[in-house]
Amino acid sequence: MKGLVSLLLIFFSCISTATEQAEVIFKQLAPSLYQIRLIDKASGEKSSIGSGFQITADGLIATNYHVISGYARHPEKYKIEYLDDQGNRAALTLKSVDVINDLALVQREVSEPMAYFSIADKVPSKGEELFSLGNPHDLGMIVVPGTYNGLKKESFNDRIHFTGSVNSGMSGGPVVNKYSKVVGINVATSGNQIGFLVPHQKLAALFNSYQQSQTTNIDQQMAQQLEQNQAKLINTILNSDWQLKKLGNGVIPTVDVPFIRCWGESNADKAEALLMVAVANCSLDENTYIAGNFFTGSMEMDFQYMQAKKLSDTKFYQLFQRRFSRVMPGNKAGKDDVTEFECQHDIVMPEQQNIQTKSIFCTRAYKSFSNLYDILYLGISIDKTDQALISHFTVAGVTQQSAQSFTKKFMESVSWK
Amino acid sequence: MEIIIEEISRGHKLIGRHKFAQSSVNIGRGYHSDIILADPHVCAEHLTIKHDGESWRVIDQDSINGCFLDDGKKTANGHIIRSGDVITIGKSQIRVIFPHHPVDTSITLSPFENLINLTKHPVTLITNIAIFALLTGWIFYLNNPKEVNFTQLFVPAIGLTLMFTIWPALVSLVSHLTKNDARVFTQIGICFIFYNLTWVTDFIENLVRFNTSSQFPLTNIVILLPIALAFCLFWLNCYVGFHMSNKRRLLTAVGLTLLIVGGTNVIKYSKKPDFTVKPQFDSTLMTPNFMVTQSNSVDDFINDSSKLFTDVRKAAKEKKK
Repeated sequence: MKGLVSLLLIFFSCISTATEQAEVIFKQLAPSLYQIRLIDKASGEKSSIGSGFQITADGLIATNYHVISGYARHPEKYKIEYLDDQGNRAALTLKSVDVINDLALVQREVSEPMAYFSIADKVPSKGEELFSLGNPHDLGMIVVPGTYNGLKKESFNDRIHFTGSVNSGMSGGPVVNKYSKVVGINVATSGNQIGFLVPHQKLAALFNSYQQSQTTNIDQQMAQQLEQNQAKLINTILNSDWQLKKLGNGVIPTVDVPFIRCWGESNADKAEALLMVAVANCSLDENTYIAGNFFTGSMEMDFQYMQAKKLSDTKFYQLFQRRFSRVMPGNKAGKDDVTEFECQHDIVMPEQQNIQTKSIFCTRAYKSFSNLYDILYLGISIDKTDQALISHFTVAGVTQQSAQSFTKKFMESVSWK
Repeated sequence: MEIIIEEISRGHKLIGRHKFAQSSVNIGRGYHSDIILADPHVCAEHLTIKHDGESWRVIDQDSINGCFLDDGKKTANGHIIRSGDVITIGKSQIRVIFPHHPVDTSITLSPFENLINLTKHPVTLITNIAIFALLTGWIFYLNNPKEVNFTQLFVPAIGLTLMFTIWPALVSLVSHLTKNDARVFTQIGICFIFYNLTWVTDFIENLVRFNTSSQFPLTNIVILLPIALAFCLFWLNCYVGFHMSNKRRLLTAVGLTLLIVGGTNVIKYSKKPDFTVKPQFDSTLMTPNFMVTQSNSVDDFINDSSKLFTDVRKAAKEKKK
């Protein structure tokens, strides 16, 4: 009987600890937590909101880049404001960004030193309880408890997998451990209690480099970060193992890295189809958000193998022409972000390869980042009368050198069995 | 003293011609006149052309609407006629010619004429129309991703063939309405020969586009082939259907060609959006047996692409806000 009562007491105290903890956190940290708003100057109303948290006594606040991206891209159109827990509002200035990890540092004015969040110095353990703070849907500050599940395996840029209901509006808010130290920043959700966080080390790195040298030009800082990230991505890919896999009677490359995932499909079950088609698609699951309808950093590779069942070669070639007439870039970008594509075409036979292709290569330049391009390639085999192998990729946000190295390796990896 | 009086249309085309060996000719709507006109604006006795021993004169018979020279500016009453004068009576016109009036030199029939006459020969005509219909049907077959039977191809093929007959029919109609020989079968024959020639130029264009790389500067010359064919077709339509001077025929053919080419290009450019995310490239393909050029190496292809990067870099700088 005593044992049962003590068990029950322990059980209830655990539950109340969690809620108690949440209460304590809420009370202590609320003054250092802000709603960050982007005000459209022309209408005077807020056009986007997110959360932010103070990380120094003199008013430096951390938030997500995508919360203030409108201002970063069009500083004349917007102003950044904070709303604190007392309902006070004032202006913020943008100090530094990390566009790859979706972080930004903004500065408020302080009349005296204030309380701030400290960043943790070690990584949480798997299963550890964490608390996500933020301002979802403009409803006011909340605390969401959740669990640390380690780093997402298939990301190229580290993200923490957090099981907790991270909602939009909480972007930029901190995730703290039970000692109120920041271990992550809310960045994205995939619904149903699956959320993603930027690890605290990225914020620490941004903060340290900000302290060492203050950025004068946000665009230049972004350009440099994008170029560094694409160099790292392309070099990692080029140095990895390119496993050559069979697709029908063709051989295609699949890059053996965890952050590129492949899917396949075929119409082998459709007896009345005139063509037997097998497709494989490999893509990078993440991309970098720059503004509104402008994304970069994505990569997608697409392969199609076709075999005519009982067709003349003329009809076969006529039919499969439709399969690549609608190639499009993989990332969204508009007239102000990029130029139109310029293309070239030629008949190419790689050395030692037994395939002859009509190859088409297209590129377009970024208007705000002078060394970056989006590239697109299409290779169509033209040496067999009843089979065809189409290879295609789109890569966004690469330098000319990365683009040409990647294209060369890709072209040399596609062949017949 | 003989006199020739021609009834002519507004465009000075000959409607009727009368030759008289008398010294006085009555013209009017009345049935007692020497020349009986049907125009209701002409009086029963409208005018008389009389030879007074020295020259022919026009005498107006107090008509309601009068008679005029020079398309209505000067009255013709009392006018001394010169060979070739045109007199307006009511809404009609007559031209007076004297026997010594010079005629244009005769034109020799060229061997060209024989060639043209070949086109209306039933064998040529039927063969050409059949070739056109068969090719149309075959193209429908090639473009259909599902299985098709003969009837499904037959109907659109015949339909398209009939549609293409509209142009020669139209030309013949205009020809007929302007009082020329319609020569319907010749027009149809010529048109279908040229439609079939267009299949040939299409094939040549595909062959060139398939085999050349984007570095090859002359690829776009193949566009001139169909334009040249269109010009020849229009020129022949004019030659067969109308009596025109060489210069006029040339100008008409050039004009029609420019209209078609210019018109289709204007429509194409008006549909082009201000900015497109879709890459524009030439992906013309043919079966392997039509591959006649050398392949390039991967390294050369990559090196060629450097120029693309330079071009888009320049374009990015140009359009900066």
